[in-house]
Amino acid sequence: MKTNMNNKTSWIRSVGVTLLLAASVLAVSGNAATADEKIPRLANGKPDFSGIWQALSAADTGLEPHSNRKDAQPFAGAVEGNTIPYLPKALEQRQKNFENRATDDPALKGYTLGVPRGIYYPEPFQIFQRAADLNIVQQFGHSVRTIHTNKTEHPDDPNDWWLGDSRAKWDGDTLVVDAKDFNDKTWLDHAGNFHSDALHIVERWKYIDANTIEYKATLDDPKVYSRPWNLGPILLHRHREKNFQLIEDYRYTLDYDQYYPPKPDNKK
Amino acid sequence: MKIRMRQQKIGLSGLVLGALALASVVGNAADEPKAQQPKAQAQPAAGGGIAQEKSFPKIASGSWNGPKLPDGQPDISGHWSNTISNHSNFTDPGGGIPGDPKPPRTPLGPRNERAPSRVSDPADGQVPFQPWAQEKVNQFHVGFHNPTEPQYVEPLARCAPAGVPKSLYWHGYEIAQYPGYVVFYFSSGTRIIHLDGKPHLPENIKLWNADSRGHWEGNTLVVDVANHNGKALFGRSGEFISENGHIVEKYIFANDGKRYNYEAVFTDPTVYTRPFTVTIPARKWTEADKANGWHFEVEHAKHDGNDVILDRYERICAENNGGFGLGAEAPKK
Repeated sequence: MKTNMNNKTSWIRSVGVTLLLAASVLAVSGNAATADEKIPRLANGKPDFSGIWQALSAADTGLEPHSNRKDAQPFAGAVEGNTIPYLPKALEQRQKNFENRATDDPALKGYTLGVPRGIYYPEPFQIFQRAADLNIVQQFGHSVRTIHTNKTEHPDDPNDWWLGDSRAKWDGDTLVVDAKDFNDKTWLDHAGNFHSDALHIVERWKYIDANTIEYKATLDDPKVYSRPWNLGPILLHRHREKNFQLIEDYRYTLDYDQYYPPKPDNKK
Repeated sequence: MKIRMRQQKIGLSGLVLGALALASVVGNAADEPKAQQPKAQAQPAAGGGIAQEKSFPKIASGSWNGPKLPDGQPDISGHWSNTISNHSNFTDPGGGIPGDPKPPRTPLGPRNERAPSRVSDPADGQVPFQPWAQEKVNQFHVGFHNPTEPQYVEPLARCAPAGVPKSLYWHGYEIAQYPGYVVFYFSSGTRIIHLDGKPHLPENIKLWNADSRGHWEGNTLVVDVANHNGKALFGRSGEFISENGHIVEKYIFANDGKRYNYEAVFTDPTVYTRPFTVTIPARKWTEADKANGWHFEVEHAKHDGNDVILDRYERICAENNGGFGLGAEAPKK
């Protein structure tokens, strides 16, 4: 019963989208989502970001514009103004990180990717959304980040978390996330861009069509940057392959995988 | 007071104190991953001790008369935890770690005064291991207490996911439901149960938390578990399944929504002589309960209203990969 209704609705929706698309092509009106375009919504009317998402961006190879390297494709950058405004000491640290990236990049050790790196790291993540929260489950490391949408605030007595503490509000159909209380163990990319435990991020998530999310973030960290700077927009694409699912990807266990489980002595 | 504060501020000494305070039930805490342990929970809240029950009611599979979600699933979302003990001993949950050279602080007494084995069939409560596998478990009982070889380190202590079934008796956890999914947010790892009937992953992909396909039959969530890598072990007592294993789980929920029993049949012709059944009782925790350092690890969220909203903080242990999980620094404040 329910399923049939949904099918009917989505059929009507797809016809609607087709008409809209046709109209926009005729009008050469660009690609911004119009108020009429149908995006998935929760029962409370808020946009429903549930699904499996992945960026096509090369941002993880280095957020700043760069030519190709042995370990990276060329990339026009995802930083507004092209340069991350490091404080002088921090810039030295970034250079050191870059030179030692083949051993020091926390992702290579299988560590939790952190925020925002987990969003554009080249592996999928799944959003499980309810009215009160969104849980982001990363394929890489299978870590879980909760974004609270229940009018709660950052705790008064926080820890330093790998994924910080995220509290969000809706600005129309845009999810505006305030994230802080991070530890200083994650990088922003494979090129050694980094932050301290004073990192404060404001993210903006919004649909530009039913299968594409635009992600933008403003990063502030008075210990590392001379001023707040803007990252993105980065587009997140919905995985629509049949039967696509996350496959947990624990890297840090690989070094001791061989010791478990016990095997018969003649099968070593 | 905030359990979390105690957890995070206590270093090695706190770990030892915590182990003493939790006495023989927890046993040797030296192999607990540091970021996850309720270290100095000196006085567990009432009802908050790890071993809460020595017996538990049977719950019959049948119809569901409780509330349902819009997509038709029985609404069983919330915070849950097992009621009998942690992973120190799989078949004698209250009996301490097998082979522990340290005597328990208080004598254990007769077996029938402790919770029953998690193996409910066969009747002897033992895993029906093939002789070679039983020999490996026996060796683990010795090696665990002085691990001179890497296979004697319980993998959870290296921050590996607790896996199936150990996650169900390793701290409390949250069950969340979404259209098409039941998701278990464990203290160490996450299990995504797919309800849409898609086929399992290809056989050669093996995972710590396996690959789960579920469906509801009245009050019972039935889950087919494949692609298990067999690496997580069942606890400090060393029982295991292999990558050839197959598990069919039933999560049978009481209609008042307060409890469920896990009844699962484990099959692995390369390790066991016959299939056997694992039974694990669980209870729900709600806003009305006091948080405690093991079963119900939540905080009251900051907000303007007077009602209680629960926060469940990040559970990440990926980086504490020391020999016994003790190599890492305590999280900074």
